[in-house]
Amino acid sequence: MRIDRTHKLWLVASLVILGASTAVYIPYALNSREGPSGGSPIGLTFGIIGSAFMVFSGLLAARKKVAVWRLGRAQSWMRGHLWLGLLSLPLILFHAGFRSGGALTTTLLVLIVAVIASGLFGAVLQHFLPNMMTSEVSSETIFEQIDHVRAQMQAEADELMMRASAPVKLVAAAPSGDLAATAEAVLSAEEIIAPLREFYDREMRPFLQDPSGRDQALADPEKSRELFKGLRRILPSEAQETANNLEEICEEERQLRRQASLHHWLHGWLMLHIPLSFALLLLGFVHAIVALRF
Amino acid sequence: MSALIELTIDGTKVVVPEGTTVFDAARLNGISIPTLCHQQNETPVGVCRMCVVDVGARVYTASCIRPVEPGMVVKTASEKVKSARHTLIELLMSDHPSPCARQQQSGDCELETLAAREKISKPRYSRRSTSRGKDASSPSIAVDFDACILCDRCIRGCSEIRENFVLGRMGKGSLAGIAFDDNSPMGESSCVSCGECMVSCPTGALTNKGVSQATLGTGPRFEPVAPEFLQQLPFFQGVSGTFLSLNNRAIVMRHFKRGEIICREGEYGSTAFYILDGTARVSISSPMAHVKTLGALRKFLGKLSSQLTQRDRDDRDEENKQSWIPIDAPVDLAYTNPVAELGPGDLFGEMTCMSLYPRSATVSAKTDCVMLEMLRNVLDIMQRNKNFRAQLDSSYRQRALDTHLRAVPVFADLTDEFIGTLREKVELVRCPPGHVICRQGEPADSFYLVRIGFVKVSQAYQGGEITLAYLSRGDYFGETGLLHGDMRTATCAALDHVELVRIGAADFARMIEQFPDVRRKLEAVERDRMQQNRERLAITRSVPLDNFLQQGLMEAQSLLLLDLTSCTRCDACVRACADSHDGVTRLVREGLRFDHYLVATSCRHCLDPLCMVGCPVGSIRRRNSLEVIIEDWCIGCGLCAENCPYGNINLHPFNVMGNDPEHPGQRIAMVKQKATSCDLCTNYAEPSCVYACPHDAAHRVNPREYFAGLLGQTAGPKPGQSQK
Repeated sequence: MRIDRTHKLWLVASLVILGASTAVYIPYALNSREGPSGGSPIGLTFGIIGSAFMVFSGLLAARKKVAVWRLGRAQSWMRGHLWLGLLSLPLILFHAGFRSGGALTTTLLVLIVAVIASGLFGAVLQHFLPNMMTSEVSSETIFEQIDHVRAQMQAEADELMMRASAPVKLVAAAPSGDLAATAEAVLSAEEIIAPLREFYDREMRPFLQDPSGRDQALADPEKSRELFKGLRRILPSEAQETANNLEEICEEERQLRRQASLHHWLHGWLMLHIPLSFALLLLGFVHAIVALRF
Repeated sequence: MSALIELTIDGTKVVVPEGTTVFDAARLNGISIPTLCHQQNETPVGVCRMCVVDVGARVYTASCIRPVEPGMVVKTASEKVKSARHTLIELLMSDHPSPCARQQQSGDCELETLAAREKISKPRYSRRSTSRGKDASSPSIAVDFDACILCDRCIRGCSEIRENFVLGRMGKGSLAGIAFDDNSPMGESSCVSCGECMVSCPTGALTNKGVSQATLGTGPRFEPVAPEFLQQLPFFQGVSGTFLSLNNRAIVMRHFKRGEIICREGEYGSTAFYILDGTARVSISSPMAHVKTLGALRKFLGKLSSQLTQRDRDDRDEENKQSWIPIDAPVDLAYTNPVAELGPGDLFGEMTCMSLYPRSATVSAKTDCVMLEMLRNVLDIMQRNKNFRAQLDSSYRQRALDTHLRAVPVFADLTDEFIGTLREKVELVRCPPGHVICRQGEPADSFYLVRIGFVKVSQAYQGGEITLAYLSRGDYFGETGLLHGDMRTATCAALDHVELVRIGAADFARMIEQFPDVRRKLEAVERDRMQQNRERLAITRSVPLDNFLQQGLMEAQSLLLLDLTSCTRCDACVRACADSHDGVTRLVREGLRFDHYLVATSCRHCLDPLCMVGCPVGSIRRRNSLEVIIEDWCIGCGLCAENCPYGNINLHPFNVMGNDPEHPGQRIAMVKQKATSCDLCTNYAEPSCVYACPHDAAHRVNPREYFAGLLGQTAGPKPGQSQK
């Protein structure tokens, strides 16, 4: 989600809540004899509001599971998740009086900081990466289809090489029935495309087959351009178009790799954010039970 | 009795009756003279000069037209004569593609045979630099003008033997050639496809079109039919026996036992059936229902589901209330009970055969049936046959005109008496694909009802042409000009093989005078159409022609756009769409990009809805609001999904109980498909895909308004504002 001007209302509301909370907290902290405490009425209020914000933020996952239910636009839920989730940190800190307390509360504090940090990291990624993906990956496909597209590209490249090896023109030029001349034509065609064949077997095929391979020259656009430039210099005119097509396939493969990489960044942080959030909510619940009971 | 004349041919004294040509005199006495333009059953014309002989005159004479004279001394094979013939063959070969189609097919091109005999492989003369072209418009005969040697055998075959008078000469000098009617493409001419020209042609200029791509089955169930048998049938009288022989693999006799299925709805086929004996039952087994999305728990909680619902239980806006379903047969089916019968003399499957559309209904044998099953080239010959046309026309007038007219809501009030008078006056018109039926600006002289096929209605405007509508069976056109006694306001052209019922201006005037209610209804329809056309034209004029057009975005009325700068590719939109439609998504997050938007694969509600072309039962159409609606009688054949250029129509499967076509009266469980496209989640205030997007990236918009800024327009909402 882009954090833009449309978030102005949420920003203002969050600042007002934060300001009001701070305005309540400072005199409360200054006037408490034993310092601010989570068990005091004001501290408890901060805890309840902060927890409510956390629970609301956590409910986003549940909301997404029932996308069709008319419970408010998903966009509003997402904005609430972002801003109220962020607000929950100062409120919980006000609740705790900026003290870590025992083992459980210390864990909770670490967890909330981690959750907020990972969330902010994700928000920054989701603000910038979609734009980056749009500009850098022009031939974007559906992420789950990448392997399928890659297989198609490999088949296409193999087909191109096979066609380049079939010396149609040369065979046609040989007098019909003259097997020796035909064989000679085939051999000379093989010789002509030999550099292309070698390049394909040595560089391109492994590049297409192993998307996680390291030190692949074709993975670098500059090196790839140079390689193809050199190749075209030694290839005959009939093979130039094949080389161009192969270069386009390499570019598409690089784009797929870039898309996969950006996609992992876009969604990978959730692997940390979601479990931490669940742990936080669970331990927060335990903390509430323990604190209220004992 | 004519006098006998004695003459000498190649040193042999011969006696023949007066008036005999030298060619015939030689032939009668066992002396063969080569020829190309002459056939025994045609009047000799002496245009090819191949039969030249030396009769001692100043120049060699064409023996096919030179009558014998007493004491005439004829040399048919002197060195000088042979040399002249050799030169002629060389000249003809220099203007002949070798091997021509006939030589390739059967190796018996008469010119190439002569050339081979003369050992002419490469002519000394240079070839023609430009091609005279080919004509592939006829489904049964291929024309290669390059192979034509202008012998006129086809022209004489057409005029003298068949008396059809379709073929003639056109042009002068090097531009001379044969022509059909007034130089029309053969398929659009008045040619009846009797095949005589093709049989007469000595080269590959007129050849039989192969039907290798679609062959009829073989085996005991497919009984070959001899041309002699076919010619005994009244509707094959007048068709060339040779032509039937050439096409003997394209027509078979089929015997169906009672209850046997002849063809099923939705199947693709390439044949038509003509019933010789027995009764066939025509029915539609798809449920008469449309796909309705149901909201759960007062549209608030729960997933949505899709259900098949009949129109009497779910009345949709502008839904068609017609009570007849058009099918590819001489009868229409009743909406409430879609079953009918066909008998001897009925032809069905014409649209499937001619235009390869899916079968529109299931046909089974009600009694033991005998039918002729035929491929397109044979059907084309039959349809051009005067006897067959007369029989079909008569059958249509007697049996189908009533239901056809009454199936059109505006004509529902016509009395039987009036239809009776129309029956004899209407004209059945056939149009090949691309044929312009009427042009914008021409005086209006007829009203047309579409019987078979699809008609494209377009209007010219400054800078281009826009498509206003596609009309199919049951639709009509031509009323606007006639109501006002004015000019045609649009151009109507056949998209495929079209058959129309033409009502002349005088009968039309009588009808609207006699039935004021019909006039009122027609005027209301005309007003609506004109209003839509004006809106359509206004849209076209308001947008500059640039790249926007290339992606067909101007054709869209409602686009699902994903803002790629904020879309995290989380697929929430796709999941929401699937959840809203029984797990079958009507949206794919893939498509073309425009600016920084992805135009998602979801119905665009196009202004020029190509999806409607070809629907065998006419169940997909546009509402007056220009949105697409799929009527209850969709048979789920999937042609609309194939035709949509953007892949935006899906087929939704349902388990239903239906009538068993193989066992009438019994019901069986079956899976039936119904075509669906984005319905904009009409149950809700906002489409689910847009509602479920957490990143404010999905928008349903009118592209012309949404991109008004980009297109240099001033009006329009700002990006971010969705439709609805």
